[in-house]
Amino acid sequence: MLRLGLSFFLVCSLIQAKGKPSFRAEPATENGVPVSPKVFYEKNPSALTAEIGVVILVGSSDDPVDKVGLSNIVGEMVLRGTKKKSRQKFQSELERMGGSLSAVVSHDMIQFSGGVIKENYKKFLVLLEETLLHPAFSEKDFQELKREVLNDIAHVKNSNNRLGGLAARREIFKGTSLERPVIGSKSTVEKITLADVQRRYNNIFDRPKIVFAAAAPFPESEMNMEFSRIWRQFPDGNKPLKRQINLQIPDKPTLIVIDKPKTSTGSLFFAQAGISIQDPDRYTLSTGNFSFGGEPLVSRLFRIIRGELGWTYAIGSSYSSLGGLSNQKGIFSISSTPSVEFTSKTIFKTLEMWKSYQEDGLSGDELDLAKDSLINSYPFEFETAEKRVAKKLSSFIYDVPILSSEEFSQKIGDISNKKLKAALREKQKSNSWLIALVADKEVVAKDLEEFQKDIPKEQRLTISKVYTPEELIN
Amino acid sequence: MNIQKLSALTLAVFFSLSSLLAADYEKVSDKKLFNGEVLSEYKLPNGLKVLFLPRHEAKLLTFQTWFDIGSLDEKMDNKLKKTGLAHLFEHMMFRGTDKYPDGKFDEITSRIGSDKQNATTYFYRTNYYESIPSSQLKKLIELESDRMANLKLDSTLLEKEKGAVVGELRRALDNPGRIAWDELNRTVFQVSPFRYTVIGTEEEIKGFSLEEAQYFYKTFYAPNNATIIVVGDTEESELLPLVVKFYGDMKAQEIPRYKLPEEPTQKKERRAEKTHPQATSDILLVGYRIPSVNSPKIVPLSLLSTHLSTGMESRLRKSLVDTGIAVSAGCGVSNVPDYLEFTVSLSEKHKAEEALQIIDREIQLLKNQVISKDSFERALNQELLSLYGMIQDNSSMANMLGDYLMVSGNYLRGFEIIEEFKKIKPQDLKNTAKEFLNKESRSVVIVRPQPKTTSKG
Repeated sequence: MLRLGLSFFLVCSLIQAKGKPSFRAEPATENGVPVSPKVFYEKNPSALTAEIGVVILVGSSDDPVDKVGLSNIVGEMVLRGTKKKSRQKFQSELERMGGSLSAVVSHDMIQFSGGVIKENYKKFLVLLEETLLHPAFSEKDFQELKREVLNDIAHVKNSNNRLGGLAARREIFKGTSLERPVIGSKSTVEKITLADVQRRYNNIFDRPKIVFAAAAPFPESEMNMEFSRIWRQFPDGNKPLKRQINLQIPDKPTLIVIDKPKTSTGSLFFAQAGISIQDPDRYTLSTGNFSFGGEPLVSRLFRIIRGELGWTYAIGSSYSSLGGLSNQKGIFSISSTPSVEFTSKTIFKTLEMWKSYQEDGLSGDELDLAKDSLINSYPFEFETAEKRVAKKLSSFIYDVPILSSEEFSQKIGDISNKKLKAALREKQKSNSWLIALVADKEVVAKDLEEFQKDIPKEQRLTISKVYTPEELIN
Repeated sequence: MNIQKLSALTLAVFFSLSSLLAADYEKVSDKKLFNGEVLSEYKLPNGLKVLFLPRHEAKLLTFQTWFDIGSLDEKMDNKLKKTGLAHLFEHMMFRGTDKYPDGKFDEITSRIGSDKQNATTYFYRTNYYESIPSSQLKKLIELESDRMANLKLDSTLLEKEKGAVVGELRRALDNPGRIAWDELNRTVFQVSPFRYTVIGTEEEIKGFSLEEAQYFYKTFYAPNNATIIVVGDTEESELLPLVVKFYGDMKAQEIPRYKLPEEPTQKKERRAEKTHPQATSDILLVGYRIPSVNSPKIVPLSLLSTHLSTGMESRLRKSLVDTGIAVSAGCGVSNVPDYLEFTVSLSEKHKAEEALQIIDREIQLLKNQVISKDSFERALNQELLSLYGMIQDNSSMANMLGDYLMVSGNYLRGFEIIEEFKKIKPQDLKNTAKEFLNKESRSVVIVRPQPKTTSKG
């Protein structure tokens, strides 16, 4: 059975992360130093579980370039036993009380999220406190985890969908910590030592970088007290730094192929520069994208390339390719998995459709549909206590307001095609695409040649680089 | 006409309509759930069943339509004898009616703010679902009932949709895990239509005719073969009159019911092995035949699978993943088809046979000794945690009710199993392992990477 809960806290779409001033839970300060923790809470009287999250505001974009994956390992190691309890004893206690706890790491934070049967939440908090403050960091557990992570990395070769994204990252963020995914690669993870983990933990587990969140059936004051007790035991430290890593996108469509012989589909990933969560045009661009490719079933890409042409089962576009919008300017992507004989056709049709969208924006009907849909579905973003807490949390982390329904309707209602075209012209490129294709390189080359036989050679799209899956995980 | 007469007439019409509406559906039951919520069941004279659970935390609701039709039925049907149409047809249900032509259903549901709108097809059922702001209930019921009664099947659209479905099939064919699962069903079942994939073959998909689609629609998409499930912000007094208004005129039909051929008793272990060009390490699947979901034996079997595979302290996690042998390892009860399934993705340096040995060792441990009280408590509380988390979400709750209704005929079966967990003892798990986890009743499937070809040049 799937557990819902705080692990979904930070899965925010472009439209999601907004905050309302009344939701703010700014910590009290004394001479500029916080004296109480940041806690975001929603009481849910009918809940049978307490859902609890602790966020450390540092993630993999702060990992050393040659040790990407360090934040991920720190997050995992914190949950692998305490100074007093072996990993087994800790996990056994946690699971026996009907609790679960996991670390989810992104490029900008380490998030511990868990849940517990409500009757046992105090016992759960005692364990949480112990593991956050006194992790064991044993050499044996570290070596075991490293092996596990390396196995996970190797296993990515099985997933054609993920390989395309990996190749795009490798090119777009070359030479930076975002070049590799949060989990790292073989070469970077192998370099990480237990001393690195300990040092990293000491540097980032401090008061200014910790945020608490919960949705539970208990009074807010009770939860605040519990979190304050834990928070006070952490050392003081510095606020997290906000860094911005530049994207390197080619000027014209550039095709890289990840060679996977004998595929029956081509896994396509088009990438260009996206936006950050603070971008003033984010509402406009996301509304446009809803009808261009963001929303399955009704978007232009879906209706034409799947519905009319029948070339693929899935096609869509997104501003959230790095795992949700954040302070970091992200990637705007279009992904699809056409049957292999339609791969070239899908590439060129997608480029043509993007050009048309970038120049002309949406039709009146398409824009109205996007606006109506976004406005009418907005209440789903507040549907449950967990979602409401997630809103508050991302509002704080990214310093963006939560809009009331009226404010949101007004904001979306004001978007015109003129505004959309201006935003597309300013923020996005018509021709600047990195296209990663996971397929059999020989089949791709032949198909491209056949498809472009009437086009002068110098104007043709050709394969500029070939990766093996092994290279991408290294 | 003076005002007094008009009012009297209005009242008379109102009362006659009320009694008519009341007679147009029957309240079958009110069931109090363990969390205090009350789930109501209704039935229309044409056989349409409605399950309704009111929740008013947000002005939103989930609306699902479940049809008791899946790929098993089409394979057994004398006029079809293929699989893939139930699934292709599910796609066609989005392709329009006279009133709402192709694309309009999606456009309108999107415009009214629907969330999670989609559909799925499986061996034994097909479901359509969406969540909407509750103020849009009437519009949604109008749209859903329209496509259930008035779908316009068009050969051009059918051909276009086949392309998308072939794309879906090809994606599945590129996934070694999916191929392993298909192979497991082919190995476990010798004669039953579980042998055949829900999505069908490319040849079958491309070969379906408009006449076959029309026959399928007329035969199986009838009110007496459907259940509507609503969880969320509405009331009986609003929901039921709308259901009666929009579904009440649909005619019940004779639905063909097929008896699945009886599988010969399995007397020895079955094995199948394949290679796959996209696989980079071994995949191991093991299926042990178990009784159906209505059997009391399913209770210890479910808890046993949780003991083996849920949480970081689960036996499979510790013996296969923590040791570096596997990237992932799980175990779960599958209902229809009925088997206890082990799934292991090996890491690159390890072979499926190693994982199989470890699974055997774990099963032997279960048979030889009673699990500790702590381990038993762990498994039980992990089940409760999972259930409690799931039922808070409207669509997950509706899914649970719908799926148990389709597999067992009893939408509360999931809750019953959880309640029964509290009555069993660690010894029951041992007995269950002895009864069902035997080599002669299992099927083993291994999918390996294709051997690397060496250049002769």
